[in-house]
Amino acid sequence: MPAVQETIDAVKEIDVDKYKYGFSTDIDSDTTPKGLSEDTIRMISGKKVEPEWMLKWRLEAYRRWLTMEEPTWARVEYPKIDFQDIHYYSAPKNFEDGPKSLDEVDPELLRTYEKLGIPLKEQEILAGVRKAGDPSSLDDDGGDNVYKSGRVAVDAIFDSVSVVTTFKAELAKAGVIFCPISEAIREHPELVQKYLASVVPVTDNYYATLNSAVFTDGSFVYVPEGVRCPMELSTYFRINEMNTGQFERTLIIAEKGSYVSYLEGCTAPQRDENQLHAAVVELVAMEDAEIKYSTVQNWYPGDETGKGGIYNFVTKRGNCQGDNSKISWTQVETGSAITWKYPSCILRGDGSQGEFYSIAVSNGAQQVDSGTKMLHLGKNTKSRIISKGISAGRSQNTYRGQVNVHRKATDARNFTQCDSLLIGDQCGAHTVPYIEAKNSSAQLEHEATTSKISDDQLFYCLQRGIPEEEAIALIVNGFVKEVIQKLPMEFAVEAQKLIGISLEGSVG
Amino acid sequence: MNAPIKLTEAEQALLLLGSDGEASGILRERGLPTRRVEAWHYTDLRNLLKSIPTGSQLDTGDVDRLLSSYQRLTHATRLPFVDGKYIADAADETPNGVLVAGENAPNLTPAADDDAIGLIGAITGAKGVSIAIKDGVKLDKPLGLAQVIASSSFCSTAHTINVGKGAHVSFIERHLSGDGITGQGNAITSLSVGEGAEVLWAIVQQHGNQCTHLGQLNVDLAADARLTILILNCGGKLVRQEVHVKSNGENSDLEILGVNLVGDKTHVDVTTSLLHNVPNTNAEETFRNVITGSGHGVFQGQIRVAQPAQKTDAQMACNTLLLSDEAEFSAKPELEIFADDVICAHGATVTDIDDEHLFYMRARGIGETDARALLIKAFVDEIFDDLEDETFKGALVGLIDDWLDRNG
Repeated sequence: MPAVQETIDAVKEIDVDKYKYGFSTDIDSDTTPKGLSEDTIRMISGKKVEPEWMLKWRLEAYRRWLTMEEPTWARVEYPKIDFQDIHYYSAPKNFEDGPKSLDEVDPELLRTYEKLGIPLKEQEILAGVRKAGDPSSLDDDGGDNVYKSGRVAVDAIFDSVSVVTTFKAELAKAGVIFCPISEAIREHPELVQKYLASVVPVTDNYYATLNSAVFTDGSFVYVPEGVRCPMELSTYFRINEMNTGQFERTLIIAEKGSYVSYLEGCTAPQRDENQLHAAVVELVAMEDAEIKYSTVQNWYPGDETGKGGIYNFVTKRGNCQGDNSKISWTQVETGSAITWKYPSCILRGDGSQGEFYSIAVSNGAQQVDSGTKMLHLGKNTKSRIISKGISAGRSQNTYRGQVNVHRKATDARNFTQCDSLLIGDQCGAHTVPYIEAKNSSAQLEHEATTSKISDDQLFYCLQRGIPEEEAIALIVNGFVKEVIQKLPMEFAVEAQKLIGISLEGSVG
Repeated sequence: MNAPIKLTEAEQALLLLGSDGEASGILRERGLPTRRVEAWHYTDLRNLLKSIPTGSQLDTGDVDRLLSSYQRLTHATRLPFVDGKYIADAADETPNGVLVAGENAPNLTPAADDDAIGLIGAITGAKGVSIAIKDGVKLDKPLGLAQVIASSSFCSTAHTINVGKGAHVSFIERHLSGDGITGQGNAITSLSVGEGAEVLWAIVQQHGNQCTHLGQLNVDLAADARLTILILNCGGKLVRQEVHVKSNGENSDLEILGVNLVGDKTHVDVTTSLLHNVPNTNAEETFRNVITGSGHGVFQGQIRVAQPAQKTDAQMACNTLLLSDEAEFSAKPELEIFADDVICAHGATVTDIDDEHLFYMRARGIGETDARALLIKAFVDEIFDDLEDETFKGALVGLIDDWLDRNG
């Protein structure tokens, strides 16, 4: 059924020409010349004061990349990227040596964070208004709330460098390492060497290989055995400089029995030319560990005619290595001219669980090709996929997902649901699920109908005198809320602001 | 440019079967599709098709004896084919209003880059019959195209069927061969259903355990037409059945019902694409698959709704029972939607027999083997419940029973 007015208005609200993060910040930057060569890589490695093994690793990736071809299977169209026309490194000048304290943070940068709508409590800390742990007027709920006193540790990444990481000391007390990956390469080489590329191999795909060669910064998280990370960890990515590519690399390791929740947000200025963002995120969950990874992706989507915007070509993958481990991906995708992103779970440990909750909104001339992969390798593994796509304007929104049950993965369970909603007749919504079962005890369910969820509920509502349309809106709204509730609270607010849409009349 | 590929044995043999034309050039350049070609992702034809049979064609003298060895499914007007050749002498008399012409050699061109069946048909100069049903003709007996592969030969057929306006007619396209015969059929049918016509098209593939079947049914559906496509796969070694339907007329109604029984060491792929080009068309697609031994079942279903096709109602369901730990099933139910006022849905499940169902029956004193057999039978038989021709329905259920006896 067609969308109701309320939904149409709500989507208009987030129309591409109203992108409020489209400002650029005038900060003196140290940007390397355009182009990609072994020298560029040596220079990036040099800037980061990396050990020899890292440089070698990068160069190997680069040589491999030269032999690879750009993938074309996704339902996205864009002119060929000139990889020589990109700056591979750009850093705000003041921070070249790394900020020693928050007072050194350029006020211009802090204003940027303010405009970005970084959660208030985090901003207070980022701005140095308040020290970590101090009470804040924003604390209206007490108790054991982890959000109290702004207890969210932030790693802010501006173009190619991490400019500030908060709460490092406090986290260290719990044994948690949370730092820029460039620092981790220097300070914790044994961990980085052990886990880097263990989930996304260097040769995994074109963009992952490129990332391996030129990645500039990102976050590194290590949660030791039995530790429940005392606060939410969060990274903000910002591409500021013109013609800059951002290649961040994030590595999260949760040791046996640990828990960590990680949030990621991203924005970019409004520019006419396309910018490339090719990130790699790797998660490793050991026995009984749980990693919750949430993203609110709001890169600049380009203008209504499709001019400008970020190409978001991201490889995200989690390895549930230990038994009974769990990895949960939650994403709210509203930005980027092109999204090419499939956060996946390798369910290796027996009894491990993978989850993927996604809301993808496309408008203007945006193209989204996103989904997930659930690879069931261990016994009694479970996965759950909930994907909601909303396309408006002249956008194309594709869900592409794979559920694969290996021969030895007895009693694997999967439930997949992907619904999409079209607003207007110029856009497209597509669903391309791959379902592969090689074990007879597997139970796989894939559905893309609203009727199955709502029949009983609808009847219940109708019986109480709620008109059908309202009833559907109510039910589906409730359902989206469930997805949003999977986001940590700090992000849920932001996500709701970004969407504010009812998903009634879903189309499979 | 890509480097020229090294042709496989099967590709070389295919080229030898045909004249050197444009199609041969395409095969020479690209080869048969591998899993890298999206439409063949789960059926890597280049690797699965090891060789092309070149056995001699049967002497037509044996036709009567040969045909009598296969039981009729229902009282149909039989049009027999042996090793790809139409045997007019052995055909039943055609009823009034039906024109059958042998020696139909349509000028085949592959529909797309990935249309390997069309390409093979073009290379091998596929021939078949053309059947025209006059406007308003209502047949009380189905037309049966019984295609027997009797020797290890390569049979390339192409039929052109036109059903006139308002005609009511049923067709049974049947593929037969005995166990041990390493024949291969490449069967292409173009079916055009006229305005307001009502058509049942049944494909019953019951090849022997060594036969390869590549089938393609291309349908053009006019306004107010009603078409039911029924598919039963219960044989063959390597099977790919494609169904491509274009709904080009408003208020057309399409139903596809399929049962795929995939036994040990067989590969059965059913690929459908439904293209809705105009407003107000309906399509409903239901498949049930049972896979045993080391069988590999594949279902690829694509529903494409073009921008003008508002008010499309398209539903697709694919349920699979995996009965062995070596069995494998792959599905790709795809939706591509460019119109906003539509209802499209797909569902797919893969599971073993429900323990609770089994328990229910066992609690009533039914042995486990029997209970399982009953549940499997109920799971697939259901698909043919609404078939009007009771004899035909009985025959199909009989084929399913036979298969379950042999493979259950």
